[in-house]
Amino acid sequence: MANIVVRSLSRRSFLASTAALIVAGSTPGFARTIVGRMPWEPGSATPPVQVRPGPWMFFTADEAALVEAAVDRLIPPDDRGPGGKDAGCAVYIDRQLAGPYGGAAGLYMRPPFMPGAATQGYQLPGSPAARYRAGLLALADHVRTAFAGKTFRELAPADQDKVLGGLETGAIVLKDVNGAEFFALLLQNTQEGFFADPVYGGNRDMAGWKLVGFPGSRYDYRDWVDQHDKAYPLPPVSIMGRSDWTVRE
Amino acid sequence: MKPVMRSALAIAAVLAAVSGDAVAQDGQSFDRIERGRTLAVLGDCGACHTAPGGKPFAGGLALETPFGKIVAPNITPDRQTGIGNFTNAEFLSALREGRSRGGKLLYPAMPYPAYTKMSDDDVLAIRAYLATLTPVSNAVVSNQLPFPFNIRMAMLGWNWLNFTPGRYQPNSQKSAEWNRGAYIVQGPAHCGTCHTPKTVLGGDKAETPLAGGMLQGWYAPNITNDSRTGIGTWSKDEVVQYLKTGTNSWTLASGPMADAISHSTSQMVDADIAAIATYLKDSGLGGATAAAVAIAASDNAMRAGAAIFKDSCAACHKDSGLGEAHLFPRLAGSALVQADDPTTLARVVLHGTRAVATSAMPTAPAMPAFDWRLSDAQIAAVLTFVRNSWGNAAAPVAAGAVTKQRQSLAAAP
Repeated sequence: MANIVVRSLSRRSFLASTAALIVAGSTPGFARTIVGRMPWEPGSATPPVQVRPGPWMFFTADEAALVEAAVDRLIPPDDRGPGGKDAGCAVYIDRQLAGPYGGAAGLYMRPPFMPGAATQGYQLPGSPAARYRAGLLALADHVRTAFAGKTFRELAPADQDKVLGGLETGAIVLKDVNGAEFFALLLQNTQEGFFADPVYGGNRDMAGWKLVGFPGSRYDYRDWVDQHDKAYPLPPVSIMGRSDWTVRE
Repeated sequence: MKPVMRSALAIAAVLAAVSGDAVAQDGQSFDRIERGRTLAVLGDCGACHTAPGGKPFAGGLALETPFGKIVAPNITPDRQTGIGNFTNAEFLSALREGRSRGGKLLYPAMPYPAYTKMSDDDVLAIRAYLATLTPVSNAVVSNQLPFPFNIRMAMLGWNWLNFTPGRYQPNSQKSAEWNRGAYIVQGPAHCGTCHTPKTVLGGDKAETPLAGGMLQGWYAPNITNDSRTGIGTWSKDEVVQYLKTGTNSWTLASGPMADAISHSTSQMVDADIAAIATYLKDSGLGGATAAAVAIAASDNAMRAGAAIFKDSCAACHKDSGLGEAHLFPRLAGSALVQADDPTTLARVVLHGTRAVATSAMPTAPAMPAFDWRLSDAQIAAVLTFVRNSWGNAAAPVAAGAVTKQRQSLAAAP
């Protein structure tokens, strides 16, 4: 009996897989065959688009004021360089939210949405843009209620730190928004803005790179490979260059 | 066996009697057809007479001249649309005098001013080879020039001003190899069509042959033996290597020369390549152009150029400007880098370029485009820097020249 079952199953699966093969074989292929040499077209670079200064593209004026104040507490200015605001972190976040990242263009965004492990990546229903909109609104409401009608920007730095700390630990509960998750998103994007290439709007004058000694978009270090215990002498360079590239009049 | 041969001979004899043309009979021999094929390679006939993706020699490639568009005709033996009906005399006249059937004047996009140097025997060997091709029916409208250039009779005047008919005259002071090289360079290979500077009418400047010309938005470099602006620094072997493989320790071919190498020079027989190199190294053309004075490193453009070179170029072309043989062209001491005309330089920095792939050197490395990363002033600065570093010396490049090149590339990439 068991033998018969196994045989009939394998016969069925054999037929099914044969059918699948026939279907696959008769479907036109989308692969391209490249023979002889790799394809190349003149002028075919696909460069990143340089972020230009200008009006906010995603944030409202109130949202921008809140974000600028928050990123300046996450990375405060000190004698070693600018803080998050002057480094352009809010500009970076604004341009990202206005673009494909904000719309979750690269993510699978269909239900079911279930809590996943940290290793499973983004599992939330809202796009980053929607989460910022809701999170900033809820945060502004919370601050207005807790601090007698004041905005986040008007708070003393110590109070701002308290609010941000409360979000991070979950001590502050926002209406309809998970405060800890929103804080994690804001912190991550602020760090990105501080260290991403200046072409994306943050890391102004490569301040983040100068702070940690990162040389930027250079790609050949052969001359320094065996020079141990020596400081790397070259200044950082952005995808779009550095100030020394400008021809002085 | 013997009866077969005898009847073949009989047929040949009959054919010869009918046509009364001894050359046509000779045209059936393998040696002659093969020699014709070799000559068609030397002349690179297929480069123009084959459309991209089209049947070989069936015509259709549009040549963009400064005066407008000329489309190369069908030269397969098709009787209606090709040259099947041409007599040998008509073929000779078209190739060497620029007069096609019925006295129709050809435009000098057909390099008859060079082919005029060729012997009867060589031209008719090409004819014999073309006659063995499969006839392809492909009607081509050659003359797509705007008024007034579309008036073929105007070429009478052009010929009178610019065309000197006449066969190649051997130089008895030189070796047979040198004479073979001179014949190939001036005749079938028509090197001067691109490499000789042109007058406003598009004729060769007779006083400066092979001293470098402009075509299709590229500068065809000086190939005289001038030690600074020509190929004077290349050894004969390096010239041979370049023509055979598309690269030598100095540079890699790209642009229109990449086509010339892949269709023509890399397919030439070794003795012909050696002959070309012997002639070019001893052509007596070009002396030693007085060196320009290098621009000081403290110049503003030089300083900006140095920073750009360090960050964008040095990884491949090296801080020393020596590049890497067969991969990244050497800039230090390069004649092309120091050429008066920076058109090619600006073009490769703006749009990038790709080296030719040959069977000997199949890698075909590419230079990326920098038009998105560098402004016109920055490209001018970095070119000024490479033209005036490591012993190089040449005039600075103006930002306006790069702007013009950027615009013309955008209009017709």
